[in-house]
Amino acid sequence: MTARTTGAAGLLAGACVAWSALPLRHGGLAAVILAVAIACALLSLARLALGRAPDNAAAYLNTVQGLALGLADMARQWPWAEGMTVAVLVLEALHGSRPWHTGLLGLALLAYLFASHLAESRARPAVLRPQAPLIAAGLGLLALTVGAAALPSSTGSAADVLALLAAVAAVAVAGLVTPV
Amino acid sequence: MPVDTGREREAASGAPQARQVRLAWSLSAHAQRLITLALAGLVIAVITRRPEFAGVAAPAVLLLAVRRPERPGRVDVTASPSGTKLTEGEQAELAVTVTGQGGHSVDLLMHPRYAVVPGTAGGLRSGKSAVPFQVTRTGRRSLGALEVTLWDRWRLTEGHATLELPIVDCYPMPAAQRKRVVLSRLPSRLGEHPSRSSGEGLEFTGVREFVPGDRQRRINWPATTRRGRLQLNTFAAERTQNVVIIADASSDVGEPGSTPADLAFRGAAGAARAYLAVRDRIGVIVYQRSVRWVAPGLGARHYYRIMNLMLLEHARVADPARYTAITRLPRAALPPGSLILVFSPLLDRRLVETVRDLRERGFSVLIIDVLNAAPSGSRDSLSGLARRIWRMEQEAIRFSLRELGIPLVRWDGQQSLDEPLAPYTRRAVVMRQ
Repeated sequence: MTARTTGAAGLLAGACVAWSALPLRHGGLAAVILAVAIACALLSLARLALGRAPDNAAAYLNTVQGLALGLADMARQWPWAEGMTVAVLVLEALHGSRPWHTGLLGLALLAYLFASHLAESRARPAVLRPQAPLIAAGLGLLALTVGAAALPSSTGSAADVLALLAAVAAVAVAGLVTPV
Repeated sequence: MPVDTGREREAASGAPQARQVRLAWSLSAHAQRLITLALAGLVIAVITRRPEFAGVAAPAVLLLAVRRPERPGRVDVTASPSGTKLTEGEQAELAVTVTGQGGHSVDLLMHPRYAVVPGTAGGLRSGKSAVPFQVTRTGRRSLGALEVTLWDRWRLTEGHATLELPIVDCYPMPAAQRKRVVLSRLPSRLGEHPSRSSGEGLEFTGVREFVPGDRQRRINWPATTRRGRLQLNTFAAERTQNVVIIADASSDVGEPGSTPADLAFRGAAGAARAYLAVRDRIGVIVYQRSVRWVAPGLGARHYYRIMNLMLLEHARVADPARYTAITRLPRAALPPGSLILVFSPLLDRRLVETVRDLRERGFSVLIIDVLNAAPSGSRDSLSGLARRIWRMEQEAIRFSLRELGIPLVRWDGQQSLDEPLAPYTRRAVVMRQ
């Protein structure tokens, strides 16, 4: 189960980075942030694959083993998934406005965070069942904001009506979900 | 010195008791990641004035905004192993009961100590779970610690508590042995081994002429008819034998778990079990820097006395603080006419001298060589030469012991003891005095 969720987290991390990087921009800040996102994604996967530090650490290590152990400790200690999340969102923001693209990225990022949590805690997907209504509501809000952002700003009263509807829907959904 | 192992046996008992453990609550890593997503999305939405980034933050914000249930400050945890006396490699279970967790889900993780291999814990059902484990090496072993993690319904906060697990005794895994070495001369005590002298046993040895006083039911009528005089069946007397097993634990070299000391204990346990099964009197001497022994005895209780001695002595293997130059074993541990089985890698010169001394005192000694390691080193010529000299020394020691009339067989710890002992188990062994 853990291997499967780790694999899923890896695929989702790769998808997030690739999706936010497309279309590729050469040079400048975008390239740096892309490199950071890739590094963070790889290290977050390494963290999931390594799991917890062993309880019985070896006493005598040669240089290579010591270095490997140090790298493993570094991979375990730092919040690479958070770094990847921020890097991917910044990379997406560097591109022009493309709401549906950002919406799908948000969906993939959320899936990646849940997959990471399942892999890390060695839990079954069933533990997320209580969160399903909240996740559904959140995704509904995401769809609404993406829809609102996709509307041309010069449409006048129709856009205002839709924005009002989106706000009412958001308040209704939040009101329904919060007391759970 | 002789050992009273009963006290130590009591000390190792681990009665299951519910223990109240304090929980340390904190935000889970999952919650921290959701906060990062929410904050990054909202900040980018404000800076870039793009609402879709606020939408990306929306699911995380909703998940974080829900009302948390009340968190328990403490939980009651009971953790008891399925047995406090285990054998090497035996599958056991740690039964865990958690109460007072309310609506929180519970994860259990075992942090094992040396030589304890945990399995995967099953889910907690009605507050109970079982964590499989096995102990892979003889000794008194702490199982380690049990980490109890409570998750709220949304898995955003986690409460941690750690609980020390009990200590278990791990006995050596007895080597398989079905056949036994039996001496030709046995003490006159009733047992199960047919001896050379005639008696009241079951094994037929021959026919002789009837003399007044003999039991009439033993008359051999066909022989009587042929010879014309009353003939009587004779049977072998059944005798017990005294066996003293010497386990040499002075050399703890090689791979942990299969060192000569481990093999010596496994072999000694297997031999003790095999001889006790036919009601022989078994004594065990554990030889290392000092000598400890259990005087010959019989019965199931005696077997556990022997195992407890080995358990206690395993912890002291290769302890340089216990140095005592002993080359002569005490008389009390060696009944006259005993068969002496020595499980040893023959690396300790003092033991080799002791074995020679035993042979010279007229004991029937059989050595089971458990040496399974050799010095390692660089591949230069000097190291190679040193290794060759070491090997030649070892061969010389074994040759000199054979020359003294001490049979020596090699056992690798994997096969049954019957295989190396086969030449000596087919018939009664005659030892020159």
